[in-house]
Amino acid sequence: MTGKEDRFTTIANKLAELKNTSELMIDLAYSSLLLNNVRIAEEVQTLEEHMDDLHTEFEQLVLSSGFKPEESKHFLGLIRLGVTTEQIADAGAEIAQVVLRGLQSHPILKTAIEEAEETVAQVQVASGSSLIGKTLRQAQIHEETGMWILAIKRNNIWTRPKPSTVIKESDIIIASGYSEGEEALEALASS
Amino acid sequence: MVKLEKIEYKPISVRDLLIEIKDLSELMIDLAYSAALFNSKELAGEVLELEERVDTLVYLINMNVMIAVRDAQDAELLVGVSVVASAADKISNASADIASLVLKDIGIHPIVRQAFEKAEEHLIRVKIAQNSILAGKLLDKLELAAKIGVDVIAIRRNKQWMINPKSEKLQKGDILIVRGAPHGIEEMKGVAEGTIMKLEE
Repeated sequence: MTGKEDRFTTIANKLAELKNTSELMIDLAYSSLLLNNVRIAEEVQTLEEHMDDLHTEFEQLVLSSGFKPEESKHFLGLIRLGVTTEQIADAGAEIAQVVLRGLQSHPILKTAIEEAEETVAQVQVASGSSLIGKTLRQAQIHEETGMWILAIKRNNIWTRPKPSTVIKESDIIIASGYSEGEEALEALASS
Repeated sequence: MVKLEKIEYKPISVRDLLIEIKDLSELMIDLAYSAALFNSKELAGEVLELEERVDTLVYLINMNVMIAVRDAQDAELLVGVSVVASAADKISNASADIASLVLKDIGIHPIVRQAFEKAEEHLIRVKIAQNSILAGKLLDKLELAAKIGVDVIAIRRNKQWMINPKSEKLQKGDILIVRGAPHGIEEMKGVAEGTIMKLEE
């Protein structure tokens, strides 16, 4: 019985990873367009490849979980959820490809993204910053600046941060919020 | 026969259309996952309502872009707008697929709950009852975030959606999409349905 439960936990975690990765891709894709940033757009493509692998692993896990015929509907639901995360990820990749194809975005696209998400800012944590060593929960960045942290890049990998993520020197933080918050965030990240 | 809304060209700013489609598509993802998590047909129904609106927006964006393009340079600048609109449409369709799973009773395996419930915040859909204290009030004056820790992220009045509403006057019959911690959400439900007549701080 525990064997079966372990397998379910693995499936659940894999699905959560698919969901989080696809949503991170959308956030990063819009950021790449707004900042006209090829590097971020490339990250989105890398994540898209990662998604393909994750999705295959997820489907294999579901199909090999040994369900009974009467449970098949539930498992069909799982497979379909996996497919939709993949479709959302594809949409993110398509948005980022506009940047990779060297197309300058029309200004209205930028203002629309800025107004919809307010604004997206990218900052790097400098060596003397008060943020270093704090978890995101302790850092209270949203309370201090009004900015929401979307993603953190460390060692060339983008992650969607958790409240327990500890901020380190040289981390690159992407955040969204009102434009006043951008300056406050820059101040926090600098020494 | 399938009955679809007839779409006529309207001169609407592409910027406004883009803001709306981006906000709606992101709202739809959240709603769809919440519908799956709580096996809620009501939330799933809202997702399908929104999908119709997004379809209309894609047509309107493309028509307005076509009219705006005069030369090759314009085309290069504006093709990104169409790509973003079609990506938002894809997201909207994917969300609608999730909603259909719920509506068609295909069923979501209980482990989905385990996968998604780590999110601390939940979404619900509530309808303002005739005797609710919310009816006739200005949304910002209610100070819902400060008092019970919830945000109204969308209002639907018949076919019309208001996303991220600020100072909207609430009416009976309005459908509210509310985000917040489980406790606040329960309270909000009672307040909207008229079973709680005072906002506790």
